[in-house]
Amino acid sequence: MRTNSATAIALLVSLSTSAARAEEVTAWRLFISDHADPKVTVIDAIDGEKLDTFEIKGPASLHRSESGRTVFAVQGTAGVVTGIASGISFEDHGEHGDIDVEAPKLAGIEITGKKPSHFVEHNGDFAAFFDGEGVARIIDEKSVLEGKPDFREVKTDAPQHGVAVAYGSHVLLSEPNREKPDELPVGIRVADKTGAPIGGIHACPDLHGEASSGDILAFACATGLLVVSHGDGSPAVRHLPYADSLPEGKTTTLIGGRGLQYFLGNYGVDKVVLIDPTIESDAFRLISLPTRRVHFAVDPVRAKFAYVFTEDGQLHQLDVVKGEIANSLKLTDPYSMDGHWSDPRPRVAVAGDRIVVTDPLQGVLHLVDATSFEKTGDIAVEGKPFNVVSVGGSGQTHEGE
Amino acid sequence: MSRTLKLAAVIGAITSLPMAPSVAAAENLKVVASFSIIADFAKNVGGDRVDIVTLVGPNGDAHVYEPKPADAATVGSADVVLVNGLQFEGFLQRLVEASATKAPIVELSKGGEVLRNSEEEGHHDQEKAAEGGGGHAAAEEGHEEGHHHHGEYDPHAWQSVHNAELYVKNIADAFCAADAAGCDTYRANAESYGQQLDALEAEIKAAVAEIPEDKRTIITSHDAFGYFEHEYGIKFLAPEGVSTESEASASDVAALIKQIRQDKASAIFVENVTNPRLIEQIASETGLKVGGELYSDALSDKDGSAATYLEMMRHNITTIKGAILGS
Repeated sequence: MRTNSATAIALLVSLSTSAARAEEVTAWRLFISDHADPKVTVIDAIDGEKLDTFEIKGPASLHRSESGRTVFAVQGTAGVVTGIASGISFEDHGEHGDIDVEAPKLAGIEITGKKPSHFVEHNGDFAAFFDGEGVARIIDEKSVLEGKPDFREVKTDAPQHGVAVAYGSHVLLSEPNREKPDELPVGIRVADKTGAPIGGIHACPDLHGEASSGDILAFACATGLLVVSHGDGSPAVRHLPYADSLPEGKTTTLIGGRGLQYFLGNYGVDKVVLIDPTIESDAFRLISLPTRRVHFAVDPVRAKFAYVFTEDGQLHQLDVVKGEIANSLKLTDPYSMDGHWSDPRPRVAVAGDRIVVTDPLQGVLHLVDATSFEKTGDIAVEGKPFNVVSVGGSGQTHEGE
Repeated sequence: MSRTLKLAAVIGAITSLPMAPSVAAAENLKVVASFSIIADFAKNVGGDRVDIVTLVGPNGDAHVYEPKPADAATVGSADVVLVNGLQFEGFLQRLVEASATKAPIVELSKGGEVLRNSEEEGHHDQEKAAEGGGGHAAAEEGHEEGHHHHGEYDPHAWQSVHNAELYVKNIADAFCAADAAGCDTYRANAESYGQQLDALEAEIKAAVAEIPEDKRTIITSHDAFGYFEHEYGIKFLAPEGVSTESEASASDVAALIKQIRQDKASAIFVENVTNPRLIEQIASETGLKVGGELYSDALSDKDGSAATYLEMMRHNITTIKGAILGS
C-alpha cells in the first residue's frame, strides 16, 4: 500500500478498464540543518509545512543520495554521520517512473568515528572519511535503508583531511602528505576493495574537493583536476592541468553538472570556473562574480543553469552553456565572507521548480521561481536554517495494484 | 509527465514551429547529427552545402553519451538537428531543452518499419511507427495492458537498409525545407546514394544466401541487430539488451549460454561500442571462437574498416560470413 503525503499534488491522468488507476504525483522535501542546534528539520517544499524534526548529536552538513532515498547529516564536532530515510523513492519503468511517498524517518544507521569530514557517494556506495583516523567507512544505500550496519573499513597510512570514493570493485583513496601531515593530501591512490594499493600515486597536490558528473569523477588539485573514468579493469586516472590563461588560483570545492556533463568549481574568492573534463583545450571557463562567493549549486532539473550566491545578498543564475551570469536577484541582507569560514551564511538548493536559499540570520527560507527567476515567498524556520538539501520529483502511483 | 512523454512533447513543439528560414546561398547549412551513422548519411545527402557536427563520434556509444555544455551551444546554433528517435538518444530531451534551439529536430526513423523491442514481446512484430512518435502511443498502451514497458521499439532501425533509405529521404526533406535553393542538389545526392544502398542490400542478401540455414545463429554483445535479423535472416543472441546502459546479469548470461548450446550458435562477435570482456567470457565457456568485431551503433574512425555506413554493413556481413564458413 502506497502512502502519499497529504500535501503531494495528485492529478488523475488516466483511467483504464482494469482496476489499476495511474495518478501523477509530485512531492518535494527540504532537509535543513541548524547552524547552532543539533537538529534536522524536514519541510514539505510544496506547501511549506513542517513534516518533522530529527534530533541529532551536533550541527551538521547535509548530503543527499543520488537516488534521493537517503539524506546524511555529517556532524563533524560530534563524530557521527546519521542516516535519514527521506521517505521519497522512485522505481524506473522505462516509459514512466513510479513514486512512493512515506513519512521521513531516522534510518537507524550511525557511522561513528573521529572527525567525519568528506562524505562521498558513487553508484549507491557511501564513503565517510574520518580525518582523525585516516579511515573511510563504506556502506551501501540498501543497508542504510534497512538499518543494517554493514560497514567496511578502508585505511590510509595516516590521519589526514582526506577523502575516499568506493568505485565499483576499487576504492580511490587520498594519499596523505607524509612530511606535513596537517596539510592537504598530495594525491590519489587506486586500491582494491580491501584498501591494498594498485599501482602508484596519482599526484594531486592540495587535494580538496571531489564530484561526479555522468560517468566521470573528478578531484580538485592545486594544479588542475584528476579525472577518473572507467578503464579496462580498473579506474583510469588522468591529470587535466589548469590552463595557462587562468589567473593564480585553484578549485577546492567541486560540484558536478546534472543533465549536462560538466563541473562547477570555486576559483579564487570572487570567481567560479566551468570545466568540461572531456576536452584538453578550453576546458576551463572562468566567470567573475560581482562580489565574493558564498555558495553555489547546480540545477538538476534545468540542466542549463547553476546558481551562485554572493556576499551582497544576491542569487545569480549562471547559464552554463553560454558561460555567463544570465540573471541576478537580491534576496538577503549582506553576508560578509569576513569572519570564520563556517559562520552562518546562506546555502542554495533546488526543489523542482523552486530555488531555495537559506537565510540563517533571519530564520527563513527564500523561495525563487526557477523559471521566471522571481522571488515567490518565504518559509519561516525556527533557529538558524543553514545547510539545505532537497529530494523529490514526480512519478505515478497505481491504485489497485 | 514521464520522461518519454516529455520528450515527445518537446520534439513535437519544436517540429511544429515554422522551419528555420532558408540560409543564404553562400552560407552552408549548419547540421548537427546525433551520432556517426547519421552524420554519414547527412554527408552523402548534403555534400559540400552542409557543415556537419557529430555529437557521438566514431566508436562512441549513444546509449550512454553524456552531453556537454558545448554540445548544447552547438545544437543552439544549428539550422537542422538530425536524430534517430525511438529513444535511442537518451540524452536528447535535456540537450534540446538546454540548447533552447529553434532548429527543427528531425527524427529520421519516423515513418519507417519499426520493430517492437524484443525484450517486451519476446519476438519481433513488425509495426508501423505511430504518427507523432511511437513513445507516446507506447506509454498509453502500456498502462492499458497493466504492465510496464522498457522502451517500446527497437531503435536500431538503420540495420535494415530499407530503413536507411528512409533516413536518407527524411534528410533530403529536412535539408530542402531549410535550404530551398539547394533542394535539387539534395534530391539528386539522395537518389544517387539510394542506388548505392540498393546495391548494398543485394550484396547482403547474396552473402546470407551462401550461409547454410542451420548455421545462421550468432552471438553479439548487445541486442542491436534485430532489424538485420528481421530483414536478412541471421539470428542474433545477445547478453545485453537493446541498450548498453545496463549490464547483463549473471542469470541472463547463464540463460544465454544454455540457449547458445541449444541453438548451436555458429559464431560469436564483439562490438565496437561495448566492452569485449563479457563476450570473451561467453566464448571461453561455450568453446566458440570470437569471430571478429561488428559495428552496430557507431562507425569506425576514418582509418578503420567501417568508416562509412556502406563500409560498415559490408564489413559486418563479410565478418559474419567469414566466421561462420571459416573463410
